Amino acid sequence: MQGGSTGVGYGLKYQARCISDVKADTDHTSFLTGTLSLKEENEVHLIRLSSGGTELICEGLFSHPNEIWDLASCPFDQRIFSTVFSSGESYGAAIWQIPELYGQLNSPQLERIASLDAHSSKIKCVLWWPTGRHDKLVSIDEQNLFLWSIDTSKKTAQVQSQQSAGMLHYLSGGAWDAHDVNAVALTCESSVQLWDLRTMKTTNSIQHAHVRNVDYDTKKKYMLVTAEDESGIHIWDLRKPKFPVSELPGHSHWTWTVKCNPEYEGLILSAGTDSAVNLWLVPPTSDDSALDSLVESPTRRVEPLLHSYTDYEDSVYDLAWSSREPWIFASLSYDGRVVVESIKPHLPKK
Amino acid sequence: MEVEEGVQIDDKAKRMRDMLSSFYSSDPSSNASSLQNYTSSSSRFATLDTINTTSFDANMYMNLLVQKSNLENLLQKHVEMAAEIKNLDTDLQMLVYENYNKFISATDTIKRMKNNIVGMEANMEQLLEKIMSVQSKSDGVNTSLFDKREHIEKLHRTRNLLRKVQFIYDLPTRLENCIKSEAYADAIKFYTGAMPIFKAYGESSFQDCKRASEEAVAVIIKKLQGKVFSDSESIQARAEAVMLLKQLDFPVINLKVKLFEKLDQFLVNLDLESVELTNASVDDNELPKGGTVLDSASSAAHEASIREFVEAVRAYRVIFLDSEQQLLKLAQDFVTKHFEATRQQIKKQFRSVELLAILRVIWSDVLLISEVLPEADLPDYALQAARIVVKDYIDSTFKHLLLDISDALTKAQVRQKEGVEGEYSLQVALEASRKAVIQGSMDVLLNFRQLLDENSDLLLKLRDSIIDWVQEGFQNFFGTLDDHFLLLSGKSNSASQNLNIPEGISVLTGLVLVLAQLSLFIEQSAIPRITEEIASSFSGGGTRGYEYGPAFVPAEICRTFRSAGEKFLDLYIKMRTQKISVVLRKRFTAPNWVKHKEPREVHMFVDLLLRELEAIGTEVKQILPQGLHHKHRRTESNGSTTSSRSNPLRDDRLSRSNIQKARSQLLETHLAKLFKQKMEIFTKVEHTQGSVLTTIVKLSLKSLQEFVRLQTFNRSGFQQIQLDIQFLKTTLKEIAEDEAAVDFLLDEVIVATAERCLDPIPLEPPILDKLVQAKLAKNSEQISVS
Repeated sequence: MQGGSTGVGYGLKYQARCISDVKADTDHTSFLTGTLSLKEENEVHLIRLSSGGTELICEGLFSHPNEIWDLASCPFDQRIFSTVFSSGESYGAAIWQIPELYGQLNSPQLERIASLDAHSSKIKCVLWWPTGRHDKLVSIDEQNLFLWSIDTSKKTAQVQSQQSAGMLHYLSGGAWDAHDVNAVALTCESSVQLWDLRTMKTTNSIQHAHVRNVDYDTKKKYMLVTAEDESGIHIWDLRKPKFPVSELPGHSHWTWTVKCNPEYEGLILSAGTDSAVNLWLVPPTSDDSALDSLVESPTRRVEPLLHSYTDYEDSVYDLAWSSREPWIFASLSYDGRVVVESIKPHLPKK
Repeated sequence: MEVEEGVQIDDKAKRMRDMLSSFYSSDPSSNASSLQNYTSSSSRFATLDTINTTSFDANMYMNLLVQKSNLENLLQKHVEMAAEIKNLDTDLQMLVYENYNKFISATDTIKRMKNNIVGMEANMEQLLEKIMSVQSKSDGVNTSLFDKREHIEKLHRTRNLLRKVQFIYDLPTRLENCIKSEAYADAIKFYTGAMPIFKAYGESSFQDCKRASEEAVAVIIKKLQGKVFSDSESIQARAEAVMLLKQLDFPVINLKVKLFEKLDQFLVNLDLESVELTNASVDDNELPKGGTVLDSASSAAHEASIREFVEAVRAYRVIFLDSEQQLLKLAQDFVTKHFEATRQQIKKQFRSVELLAILRVIWSDVLLISEVLPEADLPDYALQAARIVVKDYIDSTFKHLLLDISDALTKAQVRQKEGVEGEYSLQVALEASRKAVIQGSMDVLLNFRQLLDENSDLLLKLRDSIIDWVQEGFQNFFGTLDDHFLLLSGKSNSASQNLNIPEGISVLTGLVLVLAQLSLFIEQSAIPRITEEIASSFSGGGTRGYEYGPAFVPAEICRTFRSAGEKFLDLYIKMRTQKISVVLRKRFTAPNWVKHKEPREVHMFVDLLLRELEAIGTEVKQILPQGLHHKHRRTESNGSTTSSRSNPLRDDRLSRSNIQKARSQLLETHLAKLFKQKMEIFTKVEHTQGSVLTTIVKLSLKSLQEFVRLQTFNRSGFQQIQLDIQFLKTTLKEIAEDEAAVDFLLDEVIVATAERCLDPIPLEPPILDKLVQAKLAKNSEQISVS
């Protein structure tokens, strides 16, 4: 399954770890990505897929003060995004606004709307509610969960509430439920914690070690996908958190990230440190007969792996589905190469 | 006549039609239009042949004739024509005469008919008159004789009545006589004859007579009852007695019920006996030589009692004509009970020899019974029951086999858990389970072959089904075995949550490795051998129907176990690398790398890593084959990554710590990547020591690289990593066989560290060497001490 170079490529100058779909841009398929360089001037690239889908065009190139560990585009304003950055020891997170100078590139200065500077330990990620306009923001550091109230017009961000996940739980990341504005899933060393933002308390947890990344299924409520270092990908029904609904083999080395397709149910992309991106199709199981289908599954066990894109030079750390054209995704390998691929040839025939 | 006439008419009509058609068109294909055509062009096409057609023109013909022929021909033609004309004339005359004759004779006939009809009417009337007179005379005779006949009839009736009265008065004495002479049949015939009269007049005129005869009949009934119950009487006599009792309206049903109760009791006794018999045969198995006498004795006793039962059944069939249903039920109950007992036996583990013995006994019983009860269809019934029993037997045998194998496996697990981990415990477990699989399967097959070798009718009839069941059984068995392995390995998820593996027991890595090897063994040796065995003695079958294909599909099982073997090996590697990952994770998340102190010695995590690898080595060496030492193979790559550069270049770069150049270095790195051959890391794992170990080392190093990439280092941190890696370089060479890949990965780790380092200045090689040597010396010292 050697993937030919079917994708459209774009090279960043330095190594990079994060890419995000610009969801609020409804006219173009565009992505934001930021570099990770310890010693050089880091950059944020706004790239757009040309209308023919054959070329990636740099729409904006902005310098960023520190190396970027996490980047998320605001789902309701295409000019706003958040980053988590570090320089040596210090960590920080901020919300930025792209200046109103599209296409001219002569003032590549980002405007810092707000700093999320209440953190005391290593910040892991910043989450926007994926579904629509929401005036809250979640940021996660190693020990704490912060809920921020932000106002982009007034350019303010205030901590609304904060809760420690406990000293012994090293948080590593999380995801915000697209179906429920109050539900957030956090990954930590030994489990996935499900939080309710109203009470700021853990409502439930999935005891599963070494979860590296987590994503809510945007099409199906209660469905959560996790990626683990060694043991691949698991799909969970949050109402039955004891055992996974199904399991995918994952990658030859660690599975770093998983992303559910925003449009096609059961389509999952995963990226791993074996320099590959895998496209999976999980056969739909109805909620109630999840167990039954497991029992009968030997008879209709189909190969869930639709395609493996292996044309990467280094570990792939981030992926983004385009929400505008849900058959398109962008992947970013550590060597700073963005590849945009279309999964159209692998879509199941309806 | 008429038919002939019809034929004639038909003939005539046909002739008419022919003539008409020949008149109107000489040529059937040509009609009016072509006719015209013909005449118009006649001058041109005229020939002498037109003489016979309708368009004959005499003048034209003459002209033509004169033109075409010479004188001689003309003369000749003239003579011919004259002769023909004469002939035709004669024919015509003849026809006219014949017709005239026929007409005359017809006229004559009609005249005669007219004469004959006159006078017929008068004759008919005379006949009617005579018949009337005969009738009136016969009526006269009838009326004159009527009175006398009536009188005679009345006298006759009176006489009959008188005779009956006489008979009734005589009845008691007659009955007495009959009882004395034991002619019960006659007595009952008399009594039943008199019954209607007693019913009508018993209360009045014949009271005494009735009482007396009833008393007599009561005696008779008692005697008959005694006769029915006494076994010494002949069956015929008993049957007659029952018949007579029935004629007396005696409630025979009660009798029957009583008798059947007796029979039932008898059967229960028999059943107990048969159970004893099976027990005896079990004992017999334990004492293979000495017990046979006992066995034959008890079976003889059993046969005797069966014969007795058969006799009884035969008798009852004759005695109670309507008792068949009950007897059938009894017989079927008997067979069912028998098989039930056998089923109970099957629940304990027992061999086909015993099953055969029991089946043989049952079959002979069944045959005996079916002689007297052919309607019961007992052989069929027994066949059905035997079918179930044999199927049960096969199923349970497979179940036992599965248990044996899992026992062999879990024993190993328990032993390992108890810490009695001897040098070869895994090997022992593998050997034991291998033996359990192959020996168990062979035993099972041997057992089943005994079933097939048996020549009794019952099993011959089941032969095809047994073959199918055995094949199916193996198919299912390996399916469940696969599932069971999954369960043991802890790999199967929620589906197995309710099964008996207690939660929280972590599956031991060794067991997974054993499972991997066992799967491989099953695929490579067990299945072929079983297939061979099945082919040699279990071919045929085919009651399954062809559309399903053969029941036993070795290819499918092989595939299952091949993938299972790979899966377990993967799982083993996964479990092992997970352990190593924990070590690495602790190492990299705990310290603050940005404030790291200068390295003084190789960090102890290296020891932990090496210890893990050593543990894997000992496990792997016990079970897996050595495998060929081969260098890095490119063809089987699954994934790939690239080295950024060759060694000298890197060293070169590391020595230069110029930050300004870092950017160009990165470019350089990219350029180097473009030209560098891709280095495969994630190659396919094989079932060999080297392959497994190398894979684990590679995966661990890749993890190391990934952990490094998540950190930021100061100079000392970088140097520490450099030192650790340098140490690993020398030690890992001894463990992993794919040196190139390992070296490459180690370098990658250093590159990654350099990339994540704020101030990447490497240690001086002499210092590096010194520290590595110190560590090596320390290690060897430790070994020598221990």
